[in-house]
Amino acid sequence: MTYLVLDVVFIGVAAVVVLAARAAGVPVRLRAVAWTVAVLAVMTIVFDNLMIAAGLFEFADEHLVGLMFWRAPVEDLGYPVAVALLLPAVWSLLGRRRQREA
Amino acid sequence: MSLAYAGALLLSIGGMVVLDHRHRLFFFADAVRAAVVLATGVAFLVVWDLVGVGLGIFFRGQTPFMTGLLLAPELPVEEIGFLTLLCYLTMNLYAGFSRWLRRREDAGRAERVR
Repeated sequence: MTYLVLDVVFIGVAAVVVLAARAAGVPVRLRAVAWTVAVLAVMTIVFDNLMIAAGLFEFADEHLVGLMFWRAPVEDLGYPVAVALLLPAVWSLLGRRRQREA
Repeated sequence: MSLAYAGALLLSIGGMVVLDHRHRLFFFADAVRAAVVLATGVAFLVVWDLVGVGLGIFFRGQTPFMTGLLLAPELPVEEIGFLTLLCYLTMNLYAGFSRWLRRREDAGRAERVR
């Protein structure tokens, strides 16, 4: 469960930044985020498996919930979900002064 | 062989730059903003990685494809390249989908007015 808990914490932080962007009047385009997550998720599963097969990294099984896509743990999908939320939100927040001036 | 992973990452990042340049998605839309977003993303993910290593969740593997150089315990230098690629890809996708969805919305609105 440890890896899953770690995911929830970091995704939580990313979600807070998304809410901050909404509060600042420069919301993230959630449909674009959803499409981004979909593409990233597929790529993550494919490349994770290749990378694990190449021996680039390993996991301690006791920290995983056990749901795997072949050799890739489901928890690895936490990274693409978090960045797909966090990065557009930071981009939006950085653009807000420009919008006010415009 | 030890540069294989690093080479693959550089090639992929090069691909991201080409797409970005062609469609003005990220750095080629606003370089300073993109630099800040990328740096934030990589920093965020490195912290995540280090916490994961600290908790004993992940380990680097034994492989001939990496240089063996580490930034921190269990954190290969190549990881920065991977995280950069992930962030760059994410923003290229988000920018591309945003534009596509906005064009569809505008086209839809134009249809209704007619």
